[in-house]
Formats: sequence, structure tokens, C-alpha cells
Amino acid sequence: MNDVHISVRDASLRFRLYRNPTPGLKETVMQTFRRKKANAVTEFDALKNINLEVKSGDRLGIVGLNGAGKSTLLKTIVGIYPPQVGEIEVNGKITPMIELGTGFDHELSGRENIFLNGALLGRSYKLMKSLENAIIEFSELGEMIDLPIKYYSTGMHGRLAFSIGAIADPEILLMDEIFAAGDAQFVSKCMSRLHQMMDKSQILILVSHDNNHILELCNRAIVMYKGQVVFEGSPQESIDYYMENIVIDATHPAQPTFSEEFVGVGSTLAEVDGPIAPVTDLITTVPAGAAV
Amino acid sequence: MATLEQDKALSTDGIMPDVAMLDAFQPDEFGLPAATVIAGKTAAPLSFPRYVYSKVNELRFIKFAFVSFVTNNLRRRYQRSVLGFAWSMLNPLLMMVVLTTIFSLLFHRDPKTYGMYMFTGLLPWQFISESIAIGCMSITNAEAFMKKVYVPKLFFPLVTCSTECVNFVLALTSMILLAMCVGLKPTFALLVLPAAIAVTFLFTFGITLCLSVGTVYFRDLTHIVKVVLQSFFYFIPIIWPLNALPEKYAHIFLSNPFTHFILLYRSLIFDGQLPPAQEWGWCIMYATLTLIAGFWVLQKKEKDIIFRL
Repeated sequence: MNDVHISVRDASLRFRLYRNPTPGLKETVMQTFRRKKANAVTEFDALKNINLEVKSGDRLGIVGLNGAGKSTLLKTIVGIYPPQVGEIEVNGKITPMIELGTGFDHELSGRENIFLNGALLGRSYKLMKSLENAIIEFSELGEMIDLPIKYYSTGMHGRLAFSIGAIADPEILLMDEIFAAGDAQFVSKCMSRLHQMMDKSQILILVSHDNNHILELCNRAIVMYKGQVVFEGSPQESIDYYMENIVIDATHPAQPTFSEEFVGVGSTLAEVDGPIAPVTDLITTVPAGAAV
Repeated sequence: MATLEQDKALSTDGIMPDVAMLDAFQPDEFGLPAATVIAGKTAAPLSFPRYVYSKVNELRFIKFAFVSFVTNNLRRRYQRSVLGFAWSMLNPLLMMVVLTTIFSLLFHRDPKTYGMYMFTGLLPWQFISESIAIGCMSITNAEAFMKKVYVPKLFFPLVTCSTECVNFVLALTSMILLAMCVGLKPTFALLVLPAAIAVTFLFTFGITLCLSVGTVYFRDLTHIVKVVLQSFFYFIPIIWPLNALPEKYAHIFLSNPFTHFILLYRSLIFDGQLPPAQEWGWCIMYATLTLIAGFWVLQKKEKDIIFRL
């Protein structure tokens, strides 16, 4: 097996949110004559100085609150969002399952969608042809497979999408909250399939709000908070950290605390990329000398 | 790729297909290149020729996706109707009948000749204008895909142009066959048509690429494009013959790039002779220019597009 790995080196990603996300040529021309800029830009750091090494055999869990940058990190690894600073090296074939059913055409049948979806995941026709029956069998869709998928239920959608993603033994599998739609029986089937795949020493990166999934499937975990990795350790340690320091914070208005190691991380962004303002908001929220 | 033993272990569970089948796949069939470095903006940019090469190379890995998208587009256009493909021919056919009737009545032209003259201009123009009109929204419309999987940015403009191109080839073929029944003489010049179609395709793709990236930044560009395309319809010798122009103004009409492409088809089908080398030269030059412009815009904006969708 060749060296399958992902290394994220000092990656930062900054989103620009435009007040008017769909500008027109007309507005743009008009704006040059106006003193006040109408289309104000709000910037926020989706990812700040992420450093991450994922080696072959790692099953990495990512926990964090909504908006902590978990999905964004996955999308950056896939190549959807190019980082503004830093670089990401991916050695291995990625199957992203970020949102299930990407590229499903609702007018086409389930069978046709297997090929369409497989194509979007970068697979060849021959491969999909050989996997076709296995996918149909695993998804338990039976005769429904030849109906247009607009007649499918949400759960059937999810089953088909999971089957397409997981059946081909991807070297690297990225999953983002994908068990939401399936029933208990299918989720347990997915779990056993994922366990099988792990034995083949591939990489799994799992984003989940279900701590049990992280504990069961992962051997490493990170905690993300406001675009930064604030903790790294075993799944149990990470979840303990997350529950103690970040989740409780929502019910008690006290500031979250971080280990000192992470306090200084945010300041390098400004040096690397000139026009971006220094990152200060995270640092100011950390009480001096706070320790975990 | 998995090793043989591991596949065997799995296939016993009834999940995996035959080991022998899986074993037949080479790892490099597995889509995008396995080793990828996604560099940040601070990384040194590629030189332009190497950039174009890398983009075209990237397309090799999504051949299957490309074919699937084009066939699905065509299938959606033709399916669910008994007449299928015939429906898509109805629009140019009806337009030709109406215009031929009007012009042969008004200007006393022979309807057969005029009809043939019309379609040799109308069909290529419809290919070019439809590609541009639909294609300029191709990136913005593909937002849902682009935010969930990595797709090269030029994929969707290319799919639109190719769909229109296949449609054009089908329409052109059936029209030529129809015209032959009415009295068009088959000539060897028809054999050169694929070359003309290829040049037209590259030209159209270049423009579509530029405009599809532009539309991400200026959403009202689509309306402007539609109006401009509509007015061009009258600027190009599609419904009027070239010799109807007063000599003084002829060069104004001839100076627009679309005219040269239309003249290519007119010469090959209507006149039945090879267009002069000069005419080919113009077309190849325009195709090269638009392609360079398209890739240049793409290189400038590629890493920014996703944030503006």
C-alpha cells in the first residue's frame, strides 16, 4: 500500500460575506460614482492556521460547535475551497460524503444516478458498472432502483448515496453528519461497513455531533473552535475536553478556556498575507494564563 | 487500491463484487490524480502555457463525468416525447419556413435556394448563440455541485458547449439530408465540415468560458449577453445575402468575428466549395484569441470563484 496521507500545513481560509451576494454590472458601475460603498464586505476566518497530519490508518474524528469550521475543513481538504494561506497535501483518492446525494438528478432513476454520482466522484464507467449490483444490494432499494429518485424518501436517498460512496473502498473517506437520515438498522449496517473499511488501513475523517460515533469509529480526534484546532488527542479525551470547555460554555456565559499552547496561534496570519487584518478576536477571549 | 486478500475477505460478505472484476482496475482509473497539492494563494502561479496544460490534463480524469453530463442533458432534452429529437428541430425549422415564406414573397427569391441559404447560416448561429446564452450561467447554476465536490471550473461551460455541439451536428446532418432531397448537390466540400465545426466549437467555448466566469461577478451579464446576441442575429448575414450590402458599409458587417464562422458553413454547404485560406485564418485566429482570453480569465479568478457563488 502506498503512502496515503493528508497534511494540512498552516492553512487559513477567510470568507468574505457580501451584503449583496449577487451583484450586477449595473450596481458596480453605479457604485463607482457613489461615495459610500453599498456592497459592504464582512470577513470572517473560517479556518485559522490549521496544522494537521493524517496518516494511513488514522480515523480522525472532528468535534465542535456549529460553525466551528468542521465542514469547511473537510471542504478545504477536498479542494472545494482553496486556502488563502498555507497548503494542503493529499496523497490518496478522496471520496467526499459531505452532503449526501451530490449531483443526484431527480428526474433520473436511481440506477442512472449511481453512474452520475460515481462520475462526479471521479470514478470510471467500468468501475461503476462492476459496483452497480453491490451498490443496489447494499442500499436495499430493490425494485425502487429503476424509479426516478424524486419518488424516494429522504432515508432512501441517504441509503443510495452512502452506498455509492462507501462501496468502492475509497482510500480516504470524508464524512460529514451523514447518519442523520438513515433508520437505526441502516445506520448499524453503515457502521459495520465502516468497521470493515478501517481494517484496510485507509483514512477516515468523520464529523459528527454524535459522540458515540466518534468513540466507536475513531482512534484520534480533534476539537475545533472558531476555526482553530484547540485540542488534539484520543477520542475520549477530545470529547471530554469538548464537553467540559466548549459545550458547557453555551449554558454558562463564562469564556471558554484554552491551553496556553494555542493562545498565540492566531497572530501569524497577518504576516503571511498582507492585506488581511490581524486576527485578534480569539486571543482577546482567552483569559491570560488560562490553563486546562 | 485494495489488495487481493482484502477483497476476498469482503466479497464473502456479499457486499463486494467479484475479486477478479475489481482486480482488473488500474489505480489510475480512479478519477482525479491521487497525489494533489492544493496550494494557497501565496504559492507561485504557474506560467500560462503550463496552466492551460494542467487544466486540459485535469479533464482527462473526469471523462466519464463529462460523457454522463452531456448524455443526460441530451436525454432530458429529447426524452418524454414521442418525437424526441424532432421537437428540438421544430424551432429552427419553423423559423426557416416563416422567414423563407416572407422573404420569397417580399423579395421574390426562389424559396428553395433561399431556404438552403438560410439554414446554412441559421444553424451555426443557433449553436454559437445558444452555447453562449446557456453557457454563461453554467458556473453560477452549478453552485450546488461546486460546493460539495471538487469539479474543475471549466467543466460546466465545456458540458454546455458540448451538448449544444452534439445538438448542432444532429440538426445539421438532418438538414443537409433534407436539403439533398430538395436538390442540394452533395460535394466533397461537405467532408471538411468537421474541421469547421471543431473551430467553431473552440471559438464558442472560449467566449462561454470568459462569460461564465464574468457572470459569477456580474449576475446581470446574462441579460446583456442575450440582448447583444439578439442584435447580432441581424448583423450577421443569416437572413440577408452578403451582396445586398452597400459596398461602403460591407466591411463593418464583415468585421464581426461571427460572420467569418457563418461564411465557413455557407461556403462548404451552400456553395459546395472550400472557403479561401484567408477565411480559415480568420476563424482560427478568433478561436485562439477567445480560448486564450477564456483561460486567462480562468487563471486569474479560479481560486476566487467559489467564494463568490
